[in-house]
Amino acid sequence: MKNFLIVVAFSLLTISLFAVYANYGIPEIVPAPPPKEEKLDLGAMTMESFVALGERIVNGKGTCTLCHNAVGGRAPLLEQVVELTKQRLADEKYEGEAEDLEGYLMESMVEPSAYVVVGFGKKGTNDTVSPMPDVSTGSIGLSEAEMAAVIAYLQESGGAEITVEIPTDADEADEEDEEEQRTALTSPEEIVSEFTCGACHIVAGEEGDVGPDLTLIGGKFDRAYLRRSILDPNADIAKGYEADQMPPDYGSQLYASELELLLDYLASLK
Amino acid sequence: MKAFRIPRLLQFVLVPVVVYAVTRLIFDVLLGQLIPASLMTMYMFFVLAGTFMAFTFTEDGTRELVAPIKALVEDPSRKWLRNVVFVVLPLALGFYTYQLRTPKPEAPLELRSIHPAPPSTVKAYDKRFNLLTLENPYRKLQKEDPEAFAEMVAAGAAVYIENCQYCHGDKLDGRGPYAQGLNPVPANFQDVGTIAQLQESYLFWRIATGGPGLPKEAAPWISSMPIWQDFLSEEETWQVILYLYDYTGHAPRSWEHE
Amino acid sequence: MTRRSRYVTWAGLLLLFGAILWLLPIDLGQLDWQSALAADETTTDAATESDGAAEANGAAESPYAPAPKTTAADYPQIAGVNSRVVVWLVAQLHLWFAAFVLAVPIFVFIIEAIGMATREKRYDDMAYEFIKVSITAYSLTAILGGLLAFSLLVFYPDLFLYLSTIFKETMFYYALIFFAESACLYIYYYGWHWLQGPFKKWLHLSLGLLLNGVGTLLMFLANGWLTFMMSPAGVDPAGVFQGDTMVALHNYLWNPINLHRFVANIAYGGSVVGAYAAFKFLSARRAEERAHYDWMGYNANFIAICALLPLPFAGYYLSAEIYAYSQQMGITLMGGIFAWLFIIQAVLIGTLFLSANYYLWCGMGRSDGAVRYNHYIKYIAIVLVGAFLVWFTPHTLVLSNEELKALGGPYHKYLGPLGIMPAKNTAVNVMILFTALSFLIYRRANRVATANWVRMGNAIQVALFTTGIANIFFLGIYHGYFTNTVYKVAASIPQVLTTLVVIVISTLIDYFMYRGAKDVAPLHWGRVPGRSQYALFLLAVAFTWLMGLMGYIRSGIRQHWHVVDIMRDNSPDAFTPTLGYAANVVSVGTVIFMTMVIFVFWLAQVSGSKAEPSGYWKEQQA
Repeated sequence: MKNFLIVVAFSLLTISLFAVYANYGIPEIVPAPPPKEEKLDLGAMTMESFVALGERIVNGKGTCTLCHNAVGGRAPLLEQVVELTKQRLADEKYEGEAEDLEGYLMESMVEPSAYVVVGFGKKGTNDTVSPMPDVSTGSIGLSEAEMAAVIAYLQESGGAEITVEIPTDADEADEEDEEEQRTALTSPEEIVSEFTCGACHIVAGEEGDVGPDLTLIGGKFDRAYLRRSILDPNADIAKGYEADQMPPDYGSQLYASELELLLDYLASLK
Repeated sequence: MKAFRIPRLLQFVLVPVVVYAVTRLIFDVLLGQLIPASLMTMYMFFVLAGTFMAFTFTEDGTRELVAPIKALVEDPSRKWLRNVVFVVLPLALGFYTYQLRTPKPEAPLELRSIHPAPPSTVKAYDKRFNLLTLENPYRKLQKEDPEAFAEMVAAGAAVYIENCQYCHGDKLDGRGPYAQGLNPVPANFQDVGTIAQLQESYLFWRIATGGPGLPKEAAPWISSMPIWQDFLSEEETWQVILYLYDYTGHAPRSWEHE
Repeated sequence: MTRRSRYVTWAGLLLLFGAILWLLPIDLGQLDWQSALAADETTTDAATESDGAAEANGAAESPYAPAPKTTAADYPQIAGVNSRVVVWLVAQLHLWFAAFVLAVPIFVFIIEAIGMATREKRYDDMAYEFIKVSITAYSLTAILGGLLAFSLLVFYPDLFLYLSTIFKETMFYYALIFFAESACLYIYYYGWHWLQGPFKKWLHLSLGLLLNGVGTLLMFLANGWLTFMMSPAGVDPAGVFQGDTMVALHNYLWNPINLHRFVANIAYGGSVVGAYAAFKFLSARRAEERAHYDWMGYNANFIAICALLPLPFAGYYLSAEIYAYSQQMGITLMGGIFAWLFIIQAVLIGTLFLSANYYLWCGMGRSDGAVRYNHYIKYIAIVLVGAFLVWFTPHTLVLSNEELKALGGPYHKYLGPLGIMPAKNTAVNVMILFTALSFLIYRRANRVATANWVRMGNAIQVALFTTGIANIFFLGIYHGYFTNTVYKVAASIPQVLTTLVVIVISTLIDYFMYRGAKDVAPLHWGRVPGRSQYALFLLAVAFTWLMGLMGYIRSGIRQHWHVVDIMRDNSPDAFTPTLGYAANVVSVGTVIFMTMVIFVFWLAQVSGSKAEPSGYWKEQQA
């Protein structure tokens, strides 16, 4: 029994030594609390506070500075991005579709592998794959508005002009409404007015003067030509008019039934 | 047979003492970089453990080691010595503990970085300055137009006397009338370790954003330096920086000459 | 079939099995990233497909729901109990017992095999003594496992539900395999005396192998669940399960954890058995008893150390894989809040190495020939302590204000370089080499080599150790301080290889040199000081505590996620506790565990003792 007690005392002593060392031998660091999921009040934001939000995200929720810092050298410095963007977009390695700083920054966040700065690629991929995650998903999970704020901050801190606009809550809601709720239109007049054809063309009682007159269009061209002109406006340019004036995306905005209806209508204008 | 051998118990005591003394000698005196007490305690703990292990792994060795202690405790002829040791030892230990625990006139431990790394850019006066390239716009006058430069320095002196000397002192030595009440103490510009080691852009950053503008690594943010961009114009800030270097005779650090 | 040829066949099979066990995780590890890549591709494909489907039909087709988004209200609070601490303690206790219960059969299997090879009955008796203990421990493990499942269900219902939708089949198989495990264990234990004899003994040993195989399988399954929480696979970003359980199970960190836990279990089992033997030794009254338990403690310690030596490397492999899986998790692990934990870990591992070595040195007292080697020990001690001091020197120092002023900053000019990885790798390799050296000396203590090339053999060994250590130092210093960051960690692999080569070759030389060597005198088992037995206790306690601490960090690097990036922890306890707090929980857990282990050992002892009451039972009529 004596041995037993000695052994127990010895063990307890050892454990308490470990515990005391862990408590007092090393500095006590209180880990940061888990990040709060912030509710953004976009309506009340000025550009300055929007930039400040971007800065907070870069240093906090976005965890950007974990790698984009001067110490670790794991990712390129964000301070240089404004200066270097032109050069990167012109690089033949560049695989993305962005054409300006804003587009490039956005693309870098959601599709980091579009351009990988030399020396910062994933090991063994010869700088074709970026180790950076898509910041709009996963644990970082930035929203559109938050990414816009990051772009605003990067532009502002790099001395470039801020081109992003503060998204409003209403904008986002509107877009969603439209996409979800629009039902197909059933008369050509409605379609013409909904898609504001009359702003440029003379059609259905309206008199725009940017595009060709459509009043007798059905007599000049067949349905196939008209279809092509709507879906791909630059395919044929009427004499005396300029290219790139008509929006190229009606093909994706019109429902198939609407397109047919519209074509029927146009073809009937003789 | 050797004529003399240090008794084993004495060896046992000497080893850690010598290790301690040699370490302190090498680091504190020869290399000039002392070993922190917290680390030294752990080092000595394991040196002691190692010594214990090396001295007690054989039965004979252990017996020889503890023989004097055993004799001290059990031998009736050493009664007096025993009594003295048994009184002195606990007292010594008690004294050591007392020394260890007594609060000393020293500020509590703070892991605070005094000259934290500056950010690459800073926002002040509603503009953003790139601290890597920022220069004092009036510094060039020193060569180009010494007279105008002297005026600038004089203007800076006026700004300093009006605003800064209360803490940083009229001799720029960090001993102004209010300095006593401040912790951390105001910077001593005369010291070679302060502005002489820094670029003018660093000073601009520290003056313009003050204590609240310190980065995270300089926490806790208890510096009482005000945010001077709220009180001084951009011009005045640059002028006072000129004055600081002019009065102390230091030259601002610049990367070009190094 | 002669006895000899049968022996050779079985030995060959055993070796093969051992080799497979060792190579399996490594091989899988290599396959791992390829299949993970493949899995990645298939999941993305599947994700895009299901996205497309969702767009077309307006509804997701997967029968599985995304990971639940919880709020604080979804975590039941019961009677003011801190749910996290409860689950933490129960899980940790379950893990300790499970490690013990898995390790003891491995240990028993090895001992039984040794007994069969040497035909010494005492090995068999020792093996039996241990399997007896593991029976009670086994039921405690099961009880704690049930308790863990219940407390998860009660305190974290959403998490448990989510995990069980993904792992429902494996959970069911787990329960079934548990039956198999029980059957194996009971036959193995209760059939011990029945299955004796030339053929039956082999049958019994095979049963032991089966028991270990099933036990390891159980552990691998449970490992898959927990690594899924760290490195989820087989689910889309919203947590919708893609249907393939194998992908979810075989996630990125599965094999690294499997390997690490397998090796650690063996070391842990050895250390607990060592503590048991130490206690029996201390309370033994008769000389034979002391001899028996001394010998048992020695064997347990031997196995523990053999498993302890490769453990740091398994640990490096695991943390390297964590880095490779997620840089963010890797930085949290090594650089952030948890950096100080590795200083505590270093102190504990150092304690393990020192106490294991001390036990070996004390054990040399059993031999009359040890005197010849005693004077080398102090040099080994110096090197070990020196390497250990380097091993736990932190990069960032704790300084008082005055020291801060004196140093001119928080970093030390000369000690700072010791705080980074290359120095620590060098130190740990040197520690391992010198522990191996302690072993070699222990082996030699009682023997006199009779081979005619002893001088040359010794010279080769000295040369081997010298060049090995020089190489380790060169690699550590050159790559650590004179090349850029990329090579700093890369140097650790050739260092490890150097260490292994030196150990293997010098052991081989020793083996041939001392073949047919004379014994100085028979070993005096039992002739060791009581002090050495406390080294065994220290080993067991430090091991247990360390396992608890590392359990905290393994779980802690998930931070505020139940399943990393998939299911967020929104309970009030989602914050990461401080190291001191964690250390206190671990300490309490260790005390509870040790109390339970004492109970288990006590039961084993009680079951063997008989009281003869007089006058209690009716006198039997003749």
